[in-house]
Amino acid sequence: MALSTGKLGKYNPEKPTENRITDIGPRHYWEFFPPIIQRNYGKWLYHDILEPGVLVHVSETGEKVYTVRCGGMRFMSAEMIREVCDIADKYCDGYVRFTTRNNIEFMVDSLEKVEALKKELWSRKFVTGSYKFPVGGTGAGITNIVHTQGYIHCHTPATDASSMVKAVMDELFDYFTSMTLPAQVRISMACCLNMCGAVHCSDIALLGYHRKPPIVDHEVIESVCEIPLAIAACPVGAISPDKTPSGKRTVKIKTDRCMFCGNCYTMCPALPLSDKEGDGVTILAGGKLSNRISEPKFSKVVVPWLPNNFPRFPEVVEAVKKIIEAYAADARKYERIGDWAERIGWEKFFEKCGLPFTEHLIDDYRLAYDTYRTSTQFKFTEAAWEASRAAGGID
Amino acid sequence: MFEPKRPQKKLKYEELRIYTEEELKNYTEEELKNFKIKHAIPDLEELEKGPWPSFVADAKREALHRRKLADDRVMIPKDVVEDLLGQLQLSFDDGETHWKHGGIVGVFGYGGGVIGRYSDVPEKFPGVAHFHTIRVNQPASKFYKTDFLRALCDLWEYRGSGIFNLHGSTGDIILLGTVTDQLEPIFYDLTHELDQDLGGSGSNLRTPSCCVGKARCEWACYDTQELCYELTMHYQDELHRPAFPYKFKFKFDGCPNGCVASIARADMSVIGTWRDDIRIDQDAVAAYISGEILPNGGAHRGRDWGKFDIQKEVIDLCPTQCMSLENGKLKINNRECTRCMHCINVMPRALRPGTDTGASVLFGAKAPILEGAQMSVLTVPFMKMEPPYDNLKELIEKVFEWWMEEGKNRERLGELIQRQGLWRFLEVIGVPAFPQTVKMPRSNPYIYWKEEDVPGGWDRDIEDYRSRHKR
Amino acid sequence: MEEIKKAIIEYAETSKKTKFYFKDMEKAVQSKVPGAKSRDIKKAASELVNEGTLIYFSTGSTTMYGLKGRGITEDK
Repeated sequence: MALSTGKLGKYNPEKPTENRITDIGPRHYWEFFPPIIQRNYGKWLYHDILEPGVLVHVSETGEKVYTVRCGGMRFMSAEMIREVCDIADKYCDGYVRFTTRNNIEFMVDSLEKVEALKKELWSRKFVTGSYKFPVGGTGAGITNIVHTQGYIHCHTPATDASSMVKAVMDELFDYFTSMTLPAQVRISMACCLNMCGAVHCSDIALLGYHRKPPIVDHEVIESVCEIPLAIAACPVGAISPDKTPSGKRTVKIKTDRCMFCGNCYTMCPALPLSDKEGDGVTILAGGKLSNRISEPKFSKVVVPWLPNNFPRFPEVVEAVKKIIEAYAADARKYERIGDWAERIGWEKFFEKCGLPFTEHLIDDYRLAYDTYRTSTQFKFTEAAWEASRAAGGID
Repeated sequence: MFEPKRPQKKLKYEELRIYTEEELKNYTEEELKNFKIKHAIPDLEELEKGPWPSFVADAKREALHRRKLADDRVMIPKDVVEDLLGQLQLSFDDGETHWKHGGIVGVFGYGGGVIGRYSDVPEKFPGVAHFHTIRVNQPASKFYKTDFLRALCDLWEYRGSGIFNLHGSTGDIILLGTVTDQLEPIFYDLTHELDQDLGGSGSNLRTPSCCVGKARCEWACYDTQELCYELTMHYQDELHRPAFPYKFKFKFDGCPNGCVASIARADMSVIGTWRDDIRIDQDAVAAYISGEILPNGGAHRGRDWGKFDIQKEVIDLCPTQCMSLENGKLKINNRECTRCMHCINVMPRALRPGTDTGASVLFGAKAPILEGAQMSVLTVPFMKMEPPYDNLKELIEKVFEWWMEEGKNRERLGELIQRQGLWRFLEVIGVPAFPQTVKMPRSNPYIYWKEEDVPGGWDRDIEDYRSRHKR
Repeated sequence: MEEIKKAIIEYAETSKKTKFYFKDMEKAVQSKVPGAKSRDIKKAASELVNEGTLIYFSTGSTTMYGLKGRGITEDK
C-alpha cells in the first residue's frame, strides 16, 4: 500500500467513521532495534566513552555496539531527517535513535565503521558553514540543550527558544565536543514559566519570562472569548467580571496578583500579555535529576532578568559562560553545579560567578521561609560587607 | 516476550513513498547557496553562522525544496516554511509572538493529539494562517528504521509543512504546522498505512516515555520499553479521550540515574532499583585502583584529574559512608546503601546493581505552575515489575479514581496530594505510613486527629465537665 | 446509558458556560441520575462525541466539552 495523494487522500468526509482505525498506539519498539541490540537486549555488562561522542557497550555475549552521538536540532525539516536516514542506511543498516535530549545516535558494530562514520558526520555542513552533525555530548561536558517552541509555534512565549539555543550552543561548542568539566552540565530552556520543557531541575535553566500583566481588549472580549472560561483560567484568581462604560461585558485584572503565566491568553485571545520591554530571560542554576551522591534538586534563580536581545542574546550567553567557567575552575571532580554551590555556599557562588545578588532572588512565594538563612554560619563576601555598612555595622 | 499487542504492518518505504527520487533531489547546492526566501530575515540569517547546527539553514533548504515541487505535489501552501521564517523575523522585530491559540481542531472522536494554532498576521503570512500541531506517539525509547521515518517525511511534506520536532518535551514526534482540512487525511494515512497512532494533549494521559533501558544500558533494573509500551496500550482510552482534571504523565527510568527525568516531570515516576546486594568484581576493582581501567566509563578523559583515588573518589563520596577498602578488597554494607549509583557510575566494570530488581514508584511531580515545582514523592519503596504488570495497573487505577473524584479542575495529582495530605494519598493506595516517604517527620504538632482515633469520641457532656470544674 | 446521555445533553444545552470541564458535567449528571458512575459518564460522553452531538474543546493543556454549534465553535 502507498501513502495517499490528492486533497483528501483516502479519507471520506461524508463518512468519517467508515473503516476508522483508532486506539492502536505507537509502533512496537522491537522492530526498530538493530539486530545487535535485539541479540543483546538486557545482556549489557558495561560501557566506555572512548572519546567525546563515541560510546561502546559491551555485552555478556562478547558483542560490542559502538554509538556515535551527534548534536541534533529539535526543530528539524524533512530534508534533514532524510539526510539522517541516508547516513543510517549507509552505515547502520537503516537504524537510528534519538535521545531525550534531541541528540541523534548512530550505532555500528566495529571501530572501523566508527571512524568512517565520524568522518562522514563531521564532513557534512550546511552551505553557510554550520555543522549538521557535530559529534559529542557525552560524559563530563555539555550536551544538547532541550528546549520548547518559542516564537516558532507557541502563543505564550516570553522569548524565542531555537535561536537562544543556537546562540548558546555556538558559544559552548567546545564543551560539547570535549569532556573537561568536573561533571556533566545539563542546560535546558523553556520560553515561559509554564515550562512545558520542565526545566526546573537543570544545572542551568534558561527561562523566558513576562513581566507585564495582560491588556484587556474591552471592545472585542465579549465576542471572541467565553468570559467565564477566561476568569476560570487564572490560577491566582486575578480576573473578575466587569462592564465597560457602554455596558459591554468585559473583565478586570488585579494586576498585583498576576504572575504572568499567560493561562488567560490561552483561553482568550483578547488578553494578550507579551511585550517587548517586559519580556526577557531568567536564569536558574544548580538543579539536578539524578540521585547520584546528592538527592535530585530544583534549580535556583540566579539571574532575575535579562533582555531579549535577538537573535544572539549576548547577555544570556555571557551569564551562562560566567557560571560554567567559574564552575569548571573551582568544582571538584564529580561535583554538579548545585553540589558545588552548596559546598562553597551560595554567597560564594555569586562572588565566583561575578553575578550580582538582587532582592528578586529572595523568595517571597509560598514557603519562602524555608530558603531563609536561620543560622550564623555564612561566609563573608563583598556583598556581606556592603550589607554590614548599610546597617551602620562598619564604616 | 517482546511481542506487539497486535500484528505490526511491515513498512517498506518503496511501497509507501509519495515523492520520486527526482522530486526529493530537486535542487543543487549552488541554488541553495543563492537562495533567498521571499521575506527579508536579517536576524535569522545571522543564525546561519556558527558551528552548532543551524535550524535556519535547515528550514531554508526545506523552503527551497518545497518551492521547486510542482503545485499539485503539496496539499498546503508551498511557501509555508518561508512564511514561518518571515513571521519569526517579525516576532524578533516586535519582541512578541504572533501565534494565536485555537480551540476546536482535532481528529474525529479524539480529544487530544492535535493543537490548534493560527497566525495573528495572516495577511502578511498566509502560508501559516493555520498552522496546527499534530503529536504522534513515538516508539518506546526512540529507535527507528529509516523506512518509517522516510514515509513519515513524505506524508508530512505532502500534507503539512515538512517541519518536525524530534522530539517534543513529553516524547512525541511533533508534526509542526498544517491546515484543518488536512488533519483527517493525515490521521487516515497514519493509522492505515503507517500503523501508527497519535499522542496525547489536554486533560488526558500524555504519551508515556522511557529511557533507553535494557536496549543499550547495563543498569536498567526492569524492562522500561516493555512497561512503557504495555501501559500506553492499556490506557489508550485515557490517552485519546480526556476526562481527567488535568494532564497526567507516566515516565519510566530504569535506574536512579533518571535519564528520562521522571522524578521531576511525571505524575507517576517509576524508577528502577534493586533490593539485594551490589555485585562486585574484585579483580575489576583492583584494575580501577591500578589505573588499568579509566573511572566513570572514561567520562572525565578530557582533563588530567590525576591518578584515580578510590578512597577520595568513591568511598568518601558515598552519601551513606557504607563502603570501605579492606586489604585491597572493596566492602559494601548493603543494608546501609541508598542505591545512589555513584560507585556504580564510577566503576561500571567492577560494580553492578543487584539481581533482585524492580522499581520504586513515586507520584506527584510537576513544573512550577501553580504552587511551585514539585518532585515526585516516594510512595511505594519496591515493586516487582514483571508482565503483565497487574500490581502497577491496580495501583494506577486507585490513583486515577481518587484524583478524578477529588481533584479540582486543572489540579495536578501532586497538588491534590499537597492539598489533602500525603497520609491521605497513602490511605488511598492502601500503603501504611512508613518513614521513607518523608525526609523528616513534621516539626509542627498540628496533627489532625480523627474522631475515631480518640477514645470516647468528641461528643461530651458539659454538665459532666461542670460537675468537676466550676464555671 | 441513555439516561446519562440525556442528562449530558440537557446540561450542555443549558449550562451558563458553553464549554465545560468533565467534572462540571459529571456533577450535573449525578444530580439528575443519582449514582451514575464517572466511568459511565465518560463512556456516554465519548459516544455523544462519536455521534457528533458533543465536541472536545482543547487549549492544548486542558480539554473541555461543549455542545456542537453552541458558543464559539467555528474554526476561524
